[in-house]
Amino acid sequence: MLHISDLVVRYGSAVALDGVSLEVGRGEMVALVGPNGAGKSTLINTVSGLLTPASGSVVVEGTVAQVPEGRQMFPDMSVEDNLLLGGWSIRNRQLDEVFDLLPDLAGMRRRKAGRLSGGQQQMVAIGRALMARPDLLAIDELSLGLAPIVVAELAEHLRYLNAERGTAVLLVEQEVTLAFDLCARACVLEAGRVVVTGPSAELAASDAVHKAYFGDLAELADVEVAR
Amino acid sequence: MSRPQPRTVLTVLVCVGACVAPLVLNDLTFFMHMVMAAVVVTGLSLLMGYSGQASLGQGAFVAAGALTVAAGTTKLELPPLVALLLAPLVAAAFAALVGVPLLRLHGHYLAFGTLALLLMVQAAMGMFDALGGAFGISGIPPLGVGDRVFVGQLPYVYLALGCLGLVLLLSHRTVHSRFGRGIQALAGSQTAAESAGVPVNRSKVTIFALSAGYAGLAGGLSAFFTPYVSPDSFPALESFTYVIMAVVGGLGTIWGGVVGAVVVSVLLQVLNTVSSQPGLPPTAAPIMQYATYGTLLILALLFMPRGVVPTVDSGVERMRSRQRVGVRA
Amino acid sequence: MSEFVTYLVTGIALGSSFALIGSGFVVVHRVTRVVNFAQGSLAVLGAMLSASLLAGRLPHVVGEAVTVAVCGVVGVLVGFIAIGRRGTPPLISLIVTLGISMLFSAAIIWLWGQDPVSPPGLDGFATVLGAEVERQRLLVLAVTLVSFAALSLFFSRTYLGKALTASASNPYAARLVGIDVRRMGLVAFGLSGVLGGLAGVLLAPSNALSFYSDLPMALGGFAAAVFGGLVSPLRTLVGGLGLGVAGQLTAGYLDGSYQTEVALLLMLIIMIARSRTFANEEAK
Repeated sequence: MLHISDLVVRYGSAVALDGVSLEVGRGEMVALVGPNGAGKSTLINTVSGLLTPASGSVVVEGTVAQVPEGRQMFPDMSVEDNLLLGGWSIRNRQLDEVFDLLPDLAGMRRRKAGRLSGGQQQMVAIGRALMARPDLLAIDELSLGLAPIVVAELAEHLRYLNAERGTAVLLVEQEVTLAFDLCARACVLEAGRVVVTGPSAELAASDAVHKAYFGDLAELADVEVAR
Repeated sequence: MSRPQPRTVLTVLVCVGACVAPLVLNDLTFFMHMVMAAVVVTGLSLLMGYSGQASLGQGAFVAAGALTVAAGTTKLELPPLVALLLAPLVAAAFAALVGVPLLRLHGHYLAFGTLALLLMVQAAMGMFDALGGAFGISGIPPLGVGDRVFVGQLPYVYLALGCLGLVLLLSHRTVHSRFGRGIQALAGSQTAAESAGVPVNRSKVTIFALSAGYAGLAGGLSAFFTPYVSPDSFPALESFTYVIMAVVGGLGTIWGGVVGAVVVSVLLQVLNTVSSQPGLPPTAAPIMQYATYGTLLILALLFMPRGVVPTVDSGVERMRSRQRVGVRA
Repeated sequence: MSEFVTYLVTGIALGSSFALIGSGFVVVHRVTRVVNFAQGSLAVLGAMLSASLLAGRLPHVVGEAVTVAVCGVVGVLVGFIAIGRRGTPPLISLIVTLGISMLFSAAIIWLWGQDPVSPPGLDGFATVLGAEVERQRLLVLAVTLVSFAALSLFFSRTYLGKALTASASNPYAARLVGIDVRRMGLVAFGLSGVLGGLAGVLLAPSNALSFYSDLPMALGGFAAAVFGGLVSPLRTLVGGLGLGVAGQLTAGYLDGSYQTEVALLLMLIIMIARSRTFANEEAK
């Protein structure tokens, strides 16, 4: 349901994505891995509609909601308000749906989002994205700054979502093990280009991934991802 | 960096024109006012262009210079020339003094802060008799040395043009000096400049004081020219006009002040003539004045944000590069 | 004692206008990071328009309500010019609003002339703590308090208010959930128009306003907003009231001509004293 075709995205004169093509099927979970500066966040932001491509196309059959890098809470507002705002673009906002999927959120609904722990905030961010009833969740760096136990719990929630609701997931993740564990398919990005795409199990053992992470990293240009 | 030919020719033409104009113009007061504004705005343009701060109260420093001359000659019995030389120094010192706390403010806080400063200077002028009190200071002697004094308006005008030339030269020297390069880094990013070793706070105060010095010089000269100084001599609208001139001419350029002062002054003079035609109501004048100020400022900021000088400069550059490549424009 | 009460009440009434104008600054600044120099002009517009409408045909309350609504619309127009163009840096927007305030002056002179205007208000006096005070001034205080309460409820309870707060606190995340931050900016400007217009409507019956009142009104409002750090409506209210009362007491017990200067000096001191906090905010 997500068709990315020959996507080129520029920041001024720098090319962040250079002809990227990727498919995500309905209900699929796809991981997006690669070294820093590969263009992963750029790709996620373009899929979410925050960036405009210079050429190529992004076709989405349905709605996309992003769980941003660094959680990006509305810190002085309550969890409930943060969630409600996630439903800004839809008509029939239902907090209860999200509370069913992520029961822990109900318990902290009145608390100020800025006071929560990283893991709790990440859950709020996921819940906020879910309010829009998206067909695709675009997640940027799920595990960043979070303890492994917390991440494991979040991963469980994502599996549940995927199984129960059929929500597709495009997951940008530095933690390669987590990414391959959670997602059946993966795409390796390096310097704005797709190196290889395929089943996670195969990629986990392949040379391409190792090269992307431990290979000619020194020569890779560090493309600044604007926030 | 060698200047392209047309620019030098233009500069020479302008200088010649400026020297000839006072001899043919009827209204020297208007011309003098314009030249003085150019001096003030050259400084303001440097300040706003390089430290990226807006000063809505530059008139405070014009007043400082004017008061140095006015109070200096009438109350302290200073020789006129000494008073004139002191004017920019006093203004710069005043700016350095208030600049230390004031420049900790940024952006809109500084803008309002400088406006508040202007209003407080006006209030102080009204309060203390030494600064004129309710009636202002009159009876300022003509400028001169000993017995040889300026007679009439013409000598002042030429002196003003000379000061403008001096100010432009000084600006050029400053911009191309090491200090100038540091200041330009400041305009880009304060944190970047800091990490490059530019003494940020000191540089900001220095350029604030420099622009105040220019304003003080203009104030001092005007005090001799008018020759009367009162709180009403420095209304807030005048300070806003300086900002308009700076924006229109081009912030952070050397000639921007002159261009802006000339464009806005001439425009206003034209409007004045138009609005005083018989048949138009007496309110036509202020309406047209405000409307022009407002429109000019808005249009300049939104559509020509770099001002006339840089826009013309880059337009010329583009034409010349097309010529070089051989593409017909 | 009754003298003191009179000064107090007069000061509170004047300060309420500063507080309302100041809250207009706050609303716009929170959402757009822009300081709207034309805030004072909106107050003058409110005074002029309500005078015309009330003198014409509209009864009280209706006339004022229409005026305030119109000022809201005008506020949106101001916003459109100030922030309509993508990528206008906030400082440029400030100077643009300076230009807009000049256009306002031109328009006001054109439509209403140069003389000060004072629309009819609530007549008569009431006795407070043994002193006779104008009922108009008590009305001003009441309306101001109600307005601030309504504003607070708007931001915390309504969906649009929450979206505005969100746009202010994290514009990136706001865009993520689909909020058009620029449109929120226009809403903020509209709201500031309402607040500014209300300030003028309330103040003018006691203190006549004219086209040149926009500068002292803007300065007074900004001073109040500075007290609230340009973010807190409640502290703006306190600051505005305090400013008004301090000014009146200075006028009454010391010398009337120094009010504005005292206010300005206070404002400068507060700004400089808190400059480090401001710097952190700007950096965000």
